[in-house]
Amino acid sequence: MEIELTTDWYLTLAAILFSLGAIGVMIRKNVLIMFMCVELMLNAVNLTFVAASRHLGSPDGQVAVLFVLVVAAAEVVVGLGIIVSIFSKKASASVDDLSLSRG
Amino acid sequence: MIEIGGFLLLSLVILSGALIVIFAKNPVHNAMGLVLTLLSLAILYLTMSATFIAMVQVLVYAGAVMTLFLFVIMMIGVDKEEERKESIQGQSFLVLGLVFMLVGLLTYVSIISGFKWDLLFPQAGFVIEGKPDLIASILFTAWVLPFEAVSILLIVATAAAVGLAHDQSKKDI
Amino acid sequence: MEATILLGALLFPLGTALFLNSAGKYLKLNKITLISSLGLLGSFSGFSMMFVLLALNNFHSKNITYFNWIDSMGISFGLQWDGLVAIMTILITFLSLIIQLFSKPYMESDERVARFYVFFNFFVFSMLLLVMASNFLVLFIGWELVGLSSYLLISFWYKKKKAAQAGKKAFILNRVGDFGFLIGLMIIFDLFGSFEYDTIFSNIELLDSQQASMIAFFLMIGAFGKSAQLPLFSWLPDAMEGPTPASALIHAATMVTAGVFMLVRVAPILNKAPQILLLIATIGVLTSFFSAFIAMTQFDIKKILAYSTISQLGYMFLAVGCGAYVAAIFHLITHAFFKALLFLGAGAVIHEMHHEQDIRSMGGLIKKMPTTGFTMLVGTLAISGIPPLAGFWSKDEILGTAFISGGFYLSLWLLGLVTAVMTAFYMGRHWIYIFLGEGRTKDALNANQAPRLMKISLITLAIGSVFIGFINTPFFHGVEKMLEEVLINVEVTHSPTGTNFIILALISVFAGVLGLFISNIIFIQKIINPLKQLQEFPFIPKKIRTMLVKAFSQGSPIPSVLKNFFLSIKRLSFNGLYLDLYGKRFLVDGSKSFSRFMAVSIDQLLIDGSINNLAKIPIYIGKKMKPLQSGYIRSYLTVFGIMVLLLVFLFILSFGGLI
Repeated sequence: MEIELTTDWYLTLAAILFSLGAIGVMIRKNVLIMFMCVELMLNAVNLTFVAASRHLGSPDGQVAVLFVLVVAAAEVVVGLGIIVSIFSKKASASVDDLSLSRG
Repeated sequence: MIEIGGFLLLSLVILSGALIVIFAKNPVHNAMGLVLTLLSLAILYLTMSATFIAMVQVLVYAGAVMTLFLFVIMMIGVDKEEERKESIQGQSFLVLGLVFMLVGLLTYVSIISGFKWDLLFPQAGFVIEGKPDLIASILFTAWVLPFEAVSILLIVATAAAVGLAHDQSKKDI
Repeated sequence: MEATILLGALLFPLGTALFLNSAGKYLKLNKITLISSLGLLGSFSGFSMMFVLLALNNFHSKNITYFNWIDSMGISFGLQWDGLVAIMTILITFLSLIIQLFSKPYMESDERVARFYVFFNFFVFSMLLLVMASNFLVLFIGWELVGLSSYLLISFWYKKKKAAQAGKKAFILNRVGDFGFLIGLMIIFDLFGSFEYDTIFSNIELLDSQQASMIAFFLMIGAFGKSAQLPLFSWLPDAMEGPTPASALIHAATMVTAGVFMLVRVAPILNKAPQILLLIATIGVLTSFFSAFIAMTQFDIKKILAYSTISQLGYMFLAVGCGAYVAAIFHLITHAFFKALLFLGAGAVIHEMHHEQDIRSMGGLIKKMPTTGFTMLVGTLAISGIPPLAGFWSKDEILGTAFISGGFYLSLWLLGLVTAVMTAFYMGRHWIYIFLGEGRTKDALNANQAPRLMKISLITLAIGSVFIGFINTPFFHGVEKMLEEVLINVEVTHSPTGTNFIILALISVFAGVLGLFISNIIFIQKIINPLKQLQEFPFIPKKIRTMLVKAFSQGSPIPSVLKNFFLSIKRLSFNGLYLDLYGKRFLVDGSKSFSRFMAVSIDQLLIDGSINNLAKIPIYIGKKMKPLQSGYIRSYLTVFGIMVLLLVFLFILSFGGLI
């Protein structure tokens, strides 16, 4: 049986990548690394977009990827700014030190 | 077969990069893992004939974003060892459960679909070339409003970054 | 056109009240008085014009609906214009105008004078709304608003603890009456499905006598509360803590007569409930008798007048109870004039006496302030029923109708007659104490003439008190003509005519003269030994005279027994039948201890306890759940992720696989 490279492969890869990113956010305490894991998740989404674009033969998915890229860039800028300002106050990059809104 | 083999190889690199991101202790290593993932993703995009996206991926992600990350890592300090012991009660248990559920879900879905996911839409018979002229032609026609919105978002983000960086304690600057 | 004039005349006092409320503190006293009086004058002239139109139209009643208020219940806002309303509106606006003129010199030294005028005008508006309403709901609004303005004016000098308490007392006792009134209104709405007078009175035959009795009984309670009748009357004497002009207008001339007005309004219902009519007459005459009895020994210049007001209101209720609605309204009019006159006279005296209200420290004022003295004499004679002054005609009509109603009413007539003697007695005492003899304090000796504006209003009212009685004499039935349309389906008892009338009139005149005569003997010639007077009294044979003198002279047992007897009666009267004392002991203290019991055992233990224990459950759950909100974002995220996955599972299962 000839095995074809269908969209399913890409989607499976995206799912695994996304899950890895999510697990990373959950188990790491360093804010920077959590942030990188978020980037991983975003990239997984991008992969699904491109896969869908290829599947449907439509360039709209690739345009959407472009937007995700822009938003991710903006997010990185603001997020890193926040991290730096928190660090300058707390001298720590651990999210667990920021658990102020607890019951 | 070559396609499949290339895809599997790339996947391997992508996932190992992701694993480095998650598990490496030194933040610089994490960042390098991320760069690995992003670059191999760009190659994957090239094989999917999304050339423009692949270029932007390299430029924006592997270039600009990663530079920023590394910059911040250097600023905060690499030598700060993260406390690896889980401090939240039941957190590791929950994460394990989550992973188990994920694997279970994926396995279940794969088995009942016979490793053949019936997608809602049939595959198009042709492959589109994601070249800059094609992307530009729809980005500046059908998608022009979101494009403008995103440009405003970028300006706001820039302003926010400036505001955050501005030290409140030195008002006279 | 008519609708606009009526509405305008109604809203004029409200407008001035609102204006003075916001602008009053920036204006001088002269301007305030001018604006306020102009508002009342506009209102008065509007009503007068409408009165002329009404008279030309043969007192045909008119009902103007302005807007639908509650559509689903068919309740609208409308005004009525007929003989009864016309009488009341003109009376109210005229008297308030006169009393307002009087208030200017009386209130000029008060720093919150603008506030006084605001309340005053607001009261006039409320009272007009009450009388002009074309349905019971609007009437009730006016009814509550006059209660409110009465409260505001009684406790006008709120820094005086007594005044604040009196205001509270008036408000609460009125609330008891209003409660009854409200129940009556609900029954009416339940039976007729409408509050409109027209609808109710044209369907009056739908009522059976039991329903009519029920409605009449509750409305009667409302009227008793507002008009200070027997169980609910103790607020009125206390209400005298307010400024005297307000007492004159509200607690003598107009507001307290609202109960009488309301009962005359619902005359068609009352007429179907003869037992309630008898009850009204009985309570009215008893109130009249007892308050006259109390008034005989009071020393506060205003309290005497307050008790006298209650007493005269009792007469009006007697008239309503006899079915003599015309006589009730007629007495309402004449009483408004001479009682306003008496109050204003008392106000002038108080003003010149530097707010001294005890009549024992007055005396001899006739030489200092003759205008006040003589106008008050007119009022005193009028209330005593001396012809041809106003009080004679109306009081005589009431007593006459009571007499010819026969049966049980005969005894009411007798009691009313005794009350007439007592009325004349205490009013004579009042006048003599204030104006005759020698001044008993420095204030009394140094009293001056009343200011000119006061004199003008006193003289106007005195003229009114002399002549107002002629609008409804046995020879000219003015008031009856005006009320003909209002009482069109009502059986009205008419006053006696012919010899009966003359005899009854003579009897009541004799009662008045007797009362005045007794007070004259006792108080004018107090200085002179009464026994000596008796010895020289010409009309009794000399033998009996010496016997009497011997029996009453010192040393014999009769005088001391008599003296003790009279002293105990006097004490009873002086303390207001101990009603306040026992009312306080039973009602206030009783309810206080009852509330304390409720507060401690029922409220704190049962209600609070159960609530507190109930509240402990969420507190406990909250304590147990608290660690869930750890503040660790990673932990939240994990739970979130698990839940999302569960949802995905749920989707897949409910679809039976993938799509």
